[in-house]
Amino acid sequence: MTILVKIFGDLRKKIEGYNISDALPLNLQIESNGIDTIADILNKFSIEKEETYHLFVNGTYSGYNKKVKDGDRVGLFPKNMSLLYKWYFERNEDE
Amino acid sequence: MAKRILRVDMTKLEANFENFPADFAALGGRALTSTIVAKEVDPLCHPLGASNKLVFAPGLVTGTKAPTSGRISVGGKSPLTGGIKEANAGTTFAQKLGRMRIAAIVVEGKHEEDDYYLLKVTNDGTEFIKANKWSNKGLYDVYKELYKEFGDKVSISGVGIAAEIRGAASGICFNDPEGLPSRYAGRGGLGAVMASKGLKFIVVDETGAPGVEILNEEAFNMGVKKLTNALTSHDVTKPGGALNSYGTCVLVNIINEAGGLPQRNFSSGQDDRSEKVSGEVKAEEIKKRGGVRPHFCSPGCVIQCSEVWTKPGGKDPVGVLEFESVWALGPNCSIYDLDVIGELNRTCNDLGLDTIEAGDLLGVAMEGGLLEFGDGKGALKMLNEIKNKTPTGRILANGTAFTAQAFGVTRVPVVKGQGLPAYDPRAIKGIGVTYATTPQGADHTAGYAIATEIMGVGGTADPKDTNKSDLSRNLQLATAAIDAAGYCLFIAFAILDIPEGLEGVVDTLNGVLGASLTVNDVAGYGQQIIDTERAFNKAAGFTEKDDRLPEFFLKEPLPPHNEVFNVSDEELDKVWGT
Ligand code: SF4
Repeated sequence: MTILVKIFGDLRKKIEGYNISDALPLNLQIESNGIDTIADILNKFSIEKEETYHLFVNGTYSGYNKKVKDGDRVGLFPKNMSLLYKWYFERNEDE
Repeated sequence: MAKRILRVDMTKLEANFENFPADFAALGGRALTSTIVAKEVDPLCHPLGASNKLVFAPGLVTGTKAPTSGRISVGGKSPLTGGIKEANAGTTFAQKLGRMRIAAIVVEGKHEEDDYYLLKVTNDGTEFIKANKWSNKGLYDVYKELYKEFGDKVSISGVGIAAEIRGAASGICFNDPEGLPSRYAGRGGLGAVMASKGLKFIVVDETGAPGVEILNEEAFNMGVKKLTNALTSHDVTKPGGALNSYGTCVLVNIINEAGGLPQRNFSSGQDDRSEKVSGEVKAEEIKKRGGVRPHFCSPGCVIQCSEVWTKPGGKDPVGVLEFESVWALGPNCSIYDLDVIGELNRTCNDLGLDTIEAGDLLGVAMEGGLLEFGDGKGALKMLNEIKNKTPTGRILANGTAFTAQAFGVTRVPVVKGQGLPAYDPRAIKGIGVTYATTPQGADHTAGYAIATEIMGVGGTADPKDTNKSDLSRNLQLATAAIDAAGYCLFIAFAILDIPEGLEGVVDTLNGVLGASLTVNDVAGYGQQIIDTERAFNKAAGFTEKDDRLPEFFLKEPLPPHNEVFNVSDEELDKVWGT
């Protein structure tokens, strides 16, 4: 069972084994085993929290502790794309 | 030399410099255009008649070395909304006016014959030149000819065929640094106002210009330093930041991921084909085909969000493909091909057509059965109807609401007659409040900027709450003030997070004006502008019923979130306390 992780902008450069000219964006289906929250996904790819800003789970603006499950779609944007959205929404969080 | 106003009487074909009134000293950009329009234009006049006026005003710091400040406001009564209008562009034209100490060009009256004129403005004089030979032609060719004739140091404002047929979707065009007709004060049909007066072009030559007067150099320089530091250190605006790397199209993936990027005439908020027209894709393509990126719309911008998009092989340069344009001519029409969008954008620029309005009107034309959604070739053909001045073309050139009415479409994405930009208000409700309540008609730039906390105006709105009135009001006030100063709205991303940045803005204003404003004065300054604009609209017949979104946003849930716009009328009316 998998989660769709979409990685945008400069964060694509963090993931090894892909040519970023072809990864527009980088779409990865990851095993949901052992993945409970967005923070776990970041961990898996060795992405620091500070390198990200906008995080979406199924289109909902989310925080690091937002829970994720099979079939979810997760969008990760780098810090340098932190424009606009944050003024209008509060992060959805679990815990 | 003191600041001055250039008054252009198109009835008599006379242009004269006047003294800049002392009580206007603190006014520039939008503050000045709206003040002059409110003072001199009868709100009940016909927008295309002799009584309307068209006002060009650079911002207060425009033309100085203040970073990212090369903006101009154009104002008048809008033939699209029937209310007051300010449209904004970044261009060397603005900077030249600033350095020539021309605070405003006021175009009035109406030439009685069918002739078109070009007005040449130099530091010490003006000249009217017959421009008929440059009418009925695409602006890309015409701008080339004009640069040949007047030399490559001039800046040019002009209107195209869409304005010649008095289309309410026509914009006012300015040159980019390459001389391409690609920087637009697009919104609200002001192109038709200019053409209605018989004025086709303004060519500005700044030779001998004295430069912007700066009364307090020390304050000014300190402000430049603070703002530059903020812009070059903030992740979004710094070199290599999102705007610099990907342009405004960085928003395509963000807004699509959020489920708020309108598709197929506002019938869905997400379609992953949008990823094919994202900022990331465009940046890759530009590298491959030999366009330019990053690039600025006017020298002195440190953000440099602009670009030159071309056909493969570097042919047929278009200029910038902005986020709003790419969305309007792309996903909103179910078109997901950057080459097609580039060609549609080039055609809009060539015709002098506002790209946002063009995408919205093509969306309703598609819904009305004039052509299929996704039909890029068909869309180009439709724009050609405008070029050929056919009856269909004349309907289309009058905008989204007019087209919808002509073809029996009821999903009409307009507020006060003006087509909506690229954020669906059902998914991003805060922007919906601004669309509804700005005096400008649906306009994303009216409330793009600045968080409430740093404004010193209180009222931190909880963004999840449908109580959005405080947030929207404060955003609108700040934006109005930025427009008046002449800064590009994109500085907002940096000065939102870095307080010294906003201080820097205020310092530069103090430097130019010899004033002692503080950050706490910004909101009051913005409020004056909005009050002036709302009073004009009220006298033109607008009521709170005009501060509403179209019915379908309240009734039709938008996938994927399946939400409607649920902000109450009372909440909307609270924005301006009516
Ligand atoms: S940020 Fe972009 S639009 Fe704004 S002034 Fe700079 S180049 Fe022009």
